[in-house]
Amino acid sequence: MDAQLKRGVLDVCVLAAIKDEESYGYQILKDMSPYVVMSESTLYTILKRLETARMLTVRTAEHNGRLRKYYRITESGLARIRAFREEWREMMYMYRFITRGEREDV
Amino acid sequence: MCKREFLDALRARLAGLPCEEIAERLAFYAEMIDDRIEEGMQEAEAVAAVGSVDEVAKEIIAATPFHKIAKERVRPARRLVAWEIVLLALGAPLWLALGLAALAVVFSVYVALWSVVAAVWSVFASLAACAIAALPAALFFAVGGHLWVGLAVLGAGLALGGLSILAFFGCRAATGGMLRLTRSFGLGLKKCLMKKEKRQ
Repeated sequence: MDAQLKRGVLDVCVLAAIKDEESYGYQILKDMSPYVVMSESTLYTILKRLETARMLTVRTAEHNGRLRKYYRITESGLARIRAFREEWREMMYMYRFITRGEREDV
Repeated sequence: MCKREFLDALRARLAGLPCEEIAERLAFYAEMIDDRIEEGMQEAEAVAAVGSVDEVAKEIIAATPFHKIAKERVRPARRLVAWEIVLLALGAPLWLALGLAALAVVFSVYVALWSVVAAVWSVFASLAACAIAALPAALFFAVGGHLWVGLAVLGAGLALGGLSILAFFGCRAATGGMLRLTRSFGLGLKKCLMKKEKRQ
């Protein structure tokens, strides 16, 4: 997959992981792992980028005697997910056109 | 490897990055390791799951913008005294000129390498253009009564077409190679700018 495209999609994947409730780093990786495998470094970079873009907020809370960061999606992040779904709907129409008449394994 | 050893080794490998950046990264990885331990993993297993120190350090350095590393490198380790500032200002015509000259040399070499790639693409474009032009030319000669000349031109056009296809693969390889070299050079430059760990 094109690197730029993949980067944008991974950003939305992380937003989707915190769409319904706030979450923390390791839980985000676990939730995504059946679909996308990501390294801790990549996740850190994405979370930083999303925080700078104000698509999520971060709070630090104590958990079992240590500190843990929790990430919560913002309205801007939800809007990004909605925009992504619309973009991919259009992409699917184009995909169906490109693969029309072809066998599934082509 | 235990968590403390991993974090200490990672901190040493990241020397040269801004302190806040190092602290945040280490806190992130510590949290990831602790979460895995809380889930039931052994400490060594949890540390291994986040990756080796080398892999992690390489990813972090690659992801850190160049300007952050350069800014940290030029920042003096301690506050400069008055005479040092004066000396720095007086010496500026020398060190600034030398620095710019060195940058210019590096940039010139880089541009020269890309010029070679551009030349290879020009060869491909010329071969392809000649191959395409040979078709109407061959037709012109054949219709004009010079059948053998037309066939010769057609044959030459096909040969040039074949060469252009080979040249295309060469161009693609050369361009890919230069892009990989650029990425490696960028990473190597970042590593050069980062301070080396002082041996204790």
